[in-house]
Amino acid sequence: MKSVVLNQKSQKENRTMPEADREIQELLIDYAGALRDGCIPNFLKSLTREEADRIASSTEFWQATEVTRILNGVGFADKAVTPDVGLFISRVDAAIACRLKKARASAPAKRSTRARPTPKTDAALADRRAGSQNRIEKSI
Amino acid sequence: MDKRLRNALKGLADPDVEHRRRAMEPFVRATFGMFIRCLYRYLGNEVECEDVLEDVYADIWQDPDHLRNVSNERELLRTVYLYYMRKHLRQVYRRINRHLCLSQRDMMNLVAPDLGILEMMSQAELGQVLRRMLGRLKARERRAIELWMEGMSNRAIANELKTTVGAVKMLEFRTILKLKKMLSDYYCEA
Repeated sequence: MKSVVLNQKSQKENRTMPEADREIQELLIDYAGALRDGCIPNFLKSLTREEADRIASSTEFWQATEVTRILNGVGFADKAVTPDVGLFISRVDAAIACRLKKARASAPAKRSTRARPTPKTDAALADRRAGSQNRIEKSI
Repeated sequence: MDKRLRNALKGLADPDVEHRRRAMEPFVRATFGMFIRCLYRYLGNEVECEDVLEDVYADIWQDPDHLRNVSNERELLRTVYLYYMRKHLRQVYRRINRHLCLSQRDMMNLVAPDLGILEMMSQAELGQVLRRMLGRLKARERRAIELWMEGMSNRAIANELKTTVGAVKMLEFRTILKLKKMLSDYYCEA
C-alpha cells in the first residue's frame, strides 16, 4: 500500500516538474527559444545545478549559442518593434542631463569660509592683526 | 562610412560637454538602428534593449575617447560593443544572478560573450551568408530552421515534420552545429 502511494506521489512530481534534467540539445533549444521570445531570465531561472554543470562542460553548447544569436539577429531583429528615434533621443538627453547634474553636485564647491593659513613670519602676523583692527573699526 | 555618421562622430570629439550633448542627437539618429539590432541579438527583448542602449549612449557622451579613431561602421560597432555595451549587458540580469545555479562566468558568457568571428560580420552580410548556407542544408534540416525562424514552437514544428518534439530538438541542435561549421569555414575562406 505504502509503495503504491509513493509511486503515485513520484508520478505526480514527474508531471508537475517542468522537464527536469534536460540533455544538452534540449538546453540549447530552450535557450534559443527563450532568446527568440525575449525571456532569457525564465530560462536562467529554470536551470538546475546539474543542468548548469552540463552547460559549463559542453563545448558544443557554447559553439551553438553563437549561431543561435545570429539566427535571432537575422530572423527577428528587423521585426522587433523599436520606438520612435525622436522619443528615444529625449530619453538619452534626460539621462545625460541627470549625469551632468550628478557631476555638478559632486564637484567640490568653492567655499568662502575656508580656514586661512597661519602666518609664518612676524611681519605677516602684524599685517593680519592690522587688517582685523581695520575691520573692527569699520564695523563700529 | 556614411557622411552623416562621420560628422556625428566629429561632434563627439568636442571636449566641451554641452557641445557634445548637442552632438548626441545626430549620432543617435545615425546609429540607433545598428546598435539596437546588435543588442537584440543578445537580449531578444525590445524593452531591455532600449534600457541598455540609453545607458550606452550616456556613457559614450561621458567618455567618447574610444571612438576617436574609428574609421568604418564595423569598427564602430565592435568598439561600442567591447567598451560600452558589454559592461551594461553584464548588469542586465545581475539582480537575479544570486538565485541562479549557473556560475557567474557562464552567465557572462551567455549574456555578454566575447565577439566571435561570425558576430563581427555586418547584419546584412550575415543575412546573405546565412541564406546561402541554409540552401546547402538537407531539406528537413532547412525546413526545421526556417519554421523555427518563423516563430513556430517545437511542438508545431514536430507536427509539421510529422515527428516527435525530442526528435525536432535534436534535429535543430545538430543543424545549428552544422551551420556553425559551415559559417566558420566560409569566414576562413573569405
